[in-house]
Amino acid sequence: MLDLLQAISDGLLFGATYALIGIGFTLVFGVMHKLNLSYAAASIGGAYCGLLVLKVAAGAPAGLVFFGAFVAGGVIGWLVYVACFHFIPLSNPLATLMSTVGMLLLIDEIIVHVTAGMPQNYPAMFDDVMLHVGGYTLRGDLLLVFFLSVLCMVGLLALLYRTKLGLATRAVSQQAVAAQLCGIRVARVNAMTFIVTGLLGGVAGAMIGAAVGALSPLLTAPLTVKGLIVTVIGGLGNIPGAIIAGLLVGGFENVFQLYRGVTERDFYVMLLLFAFLVFRPGGLFAPKGSRD
Amino acid sequence: MDFYYGLAQIVGVHTLLGLSAYIVLLTGQVSLAQAAFFGIGAYTAGMLTVLAGWQIVPALGGGALVGSATACAVGFPALRVKGLMLVVATLAFGEGVRLFFFNFDYQVAKGGIKVGPLGGEGFRQIRYFPEHGWTTGEVMLFIWAFVLAAMAALWWFDRSRYGAVLRAVGEDELAAQSVGVNLTAVKVSAMTIGGAIAGLGGGIYAHYTTHIEHSNFNVLVATFALAYPIVGGLSNVFGTLAAVIFVQVFLIEGLRDLGDWRNLLFGALIILAMNLRPHGLFGRRSA
Amino acid sequence: MLELKSVARHFGGVRAVDGLDLKVAQGEIVGLIGPNGSGKSTAVNVITGLFPLTAGEIYYEGQALGRVPTHRRLQLGIARTFQNIRLFGQLSVWQNLWVAQNSPSDRAHRGFLSRWLGGQKGVRAEIAELLEFSGLAARQDELAANLSFGEQRRLELARALAAKPKLLLLDEPAAGMNHEEIGQLKERILRLRSRGITIVLVEHVMELVMGVTDRIAVLNFGQKIAEGSPAAIQNDPLVKKAYLGGA
Repeated sequence: MLDLLQAISDGLLFGATYALIGIGFTLVFGVMHKLNLSYAAASIGGAYCGLLVLKVAAGAPAGLVFFGAFVAGGVIGWLVYVACFHFIPLSNPLATLMSTVGMLLLIDEIIVHVTAGMPQNYPAMFDDVMLHVGGYTLRGDLLLVFFLSVLCMVGLLALLYRTKLGLATRAVSQQAVAAQLCGIRVARVNAMTFIVTGLLGGVAGAMIGAAVGALSPLLTAPLTVKGLIVTVIGGLGNIPGAIIAGLLVGGFENVFQLYRGVTERDFYVMLLLFAFLVFRPGGLFAPKGSRD
Repeated sequence: MDFYYGLAQIVGVHTLLGLSAYIVLLTGQVSLAQAAFFGIGAYTAGMLTVLAGWQIVPALGGGALVGSATACAVGFPALRVKGLMLVVATLAFGEGVRLFFFNFDYQVAKGGIKVGPLGGEGFRQIRYFPEHGWTTGEVMLFIWAFVLAAMAALWWFDRSRYGAVLRAVGEDELAAQSVGVNLTAVKVSAMTIGGAIAGLGGGIYAHYTTHIEHSNFNVLVATFALAYPIVGGLSNVFGTLAAVIFVQVFLIEGLRDLGDWRNLLFGALIILAMNLRPHGLFGRRSA
Repeated sequence: MLELKSVARHFGGVRAVDGLDLKVAQGEIVGLIGPNGSGKSTAVNVITGLFPLTAGEIYYEGQALGRVPTHRRLQLGIARTFQNIRLFGQLSVWQNLWVAQNSPSDRAHRGFLSRWLGGQKGVRAEIAELLEFSGLAARQDELAANLSFGEQRRLELARALAAKPKLLLLDEPAAGMNHEEIGQLKERILRLRSRGITIVLVEHVMELVMGVTDRIAVLNFGQKIAEGSPAAIQNDPLVKKAYLGGA
């Protein structure tokens, strides 16, 4: 029982990173009705860029590396927007989908080339801190991962619901043409969406690196799949849904691993996805049918 | 000369892979599952020749059959999943199948050694062609006979009412329903045919490479399958063929000198192609 | 031929259609009018089966339609046009009609393979006739998306006719038409009636409704508020109030 609770709590804490990735996918879908398949790869890429801080200033604190990842993520997000979405007519979803696939391949390959395929160690903070609650342990570094991720989510929600940019973003996601007619520069909103999700992604990538202890290009494919699973379970375009779903997937993943081991774990997460697709395709918080 | 035969073999098999995604794309379903059906066909056909001693053509038929049956089974739940969610669902399905093969062991002792799929190590010794003395040239012609047959079949579909109905469904499901089209029948049948073509391609693939494993049917292959018809354009089957030739011949072979940078350039080239010609190399008819 | 009994269709709290009774006899041309939001298009959508009913029942040729799916209703003989034209833009005019060629008589005469995998020859005559009727013969190979607005409207109608329907539901076919075009449309509708097709016409353009219908039903807030001959409806105070509002 203790093991189960431990697995759940560790999973929930780590699941916050999945939540961030899920938010990234779901926000782009909500605003532009497009899927950016390169998002998880870009997040890991941002995390790698964070390591450049160490190249410049060896021995710099981990927090600075995380900040580097944050900034790099935003830059990469903008680059993805320009390369895959800015010039392609929005009425052509296949073309944008395919270009994000191209971007996914590109980012993956760049990482492999620059690092010669070798995993890179990632700094963590508070990894020597262990909080003991009752009979089980809360890892300090996981707590930080959770905390930072929550901070980002709160920041995002504040952005969306308390700022003018957020209002414009929500307007564009509901009626892009009408928003344009109200003077909103849709291209700018779209670019900002990518930058913001990129920032979040950079943090997510850094957090994953910190929690696992190392980064490797092999992380991108499973992270992409998991991020998409979180997005679907949370409901496409639904941010609170993505948050809860991320935590859920993190928790379940760890529980599956506890009982069935690492190799079968992913298979069960997949089954979870299929269960949702069959029984609740709209996600956890599916809206009721509407007039259209 | 063998080198060119080998290249032609790859182009042929990849064309089948692309065509399997093409017919499904016409109905508006973006499927990342074609690599999974490809893999299922590969393992099935391989097992039929190696473990059960079948002849090549019936074995390929078996691979196509199992591929199409799986696709049909996937086709029904796929109806409940709209648009981009289907991409995710098929992606997950593809990964699930790959994980299945990663864990799949079925070995039989033949003549003193054990043959058959062995989990992560894959399925080695699929040696039907060498054992029966086929030359590379003969294998190539064999492959292309099937490829041309598949292209001819799809070309015929395109000119028939079925083709128009497929495209109508892809364009506007509501309108199609309202003029009497049975969406379920059309979408599932397209998926099934795609599964048959992919299964056939997989079976051929297994036999000319002689060794298959789970990573041969991963997300990357699934995206290649989609990339061919999208980059080639959905007007007709030649677009897909052109895209395969373009990718395999120019990119992968032509840039052979660039070694490891090929995948990187492939990614960059897809991005470029989609920006310059969003409707694919062969584009749409007009409008 | 068609009967709606206490038909209701609710979307959450919105009662788009709320207790609608309507009878349409064979060979009639019945008009369905009412202000925006009165439920006319929703009525068409439930008759064709795009939305399931929240309450009530629809009878077609004496049989309750229940949950028969849309494509089956087409095969039973119920066809419709769309208010905002839904053509298959990337298919040619000819192909748009070809896709819709799926009537019971068609199925009786031609085998499965011929209907699905056959080429264009077998159906040339039938489609040519439709093209003649709609004045689109010269444009048969043009992509539907490239047609002019008027031509698209005619194709929309022709496509609904391709399956040889017995009941035709026209959803605002005259929207955006000029006087001359309305005249041509009127003529076409009357010709269809003379072929034995029953027609329900949902429309705002009074010139068309008054000129071509036998009977008009007026909807407001999802319910029928008046029914009668065109002349009677024109003078009905309730109708005037619904359209013009106020005292």
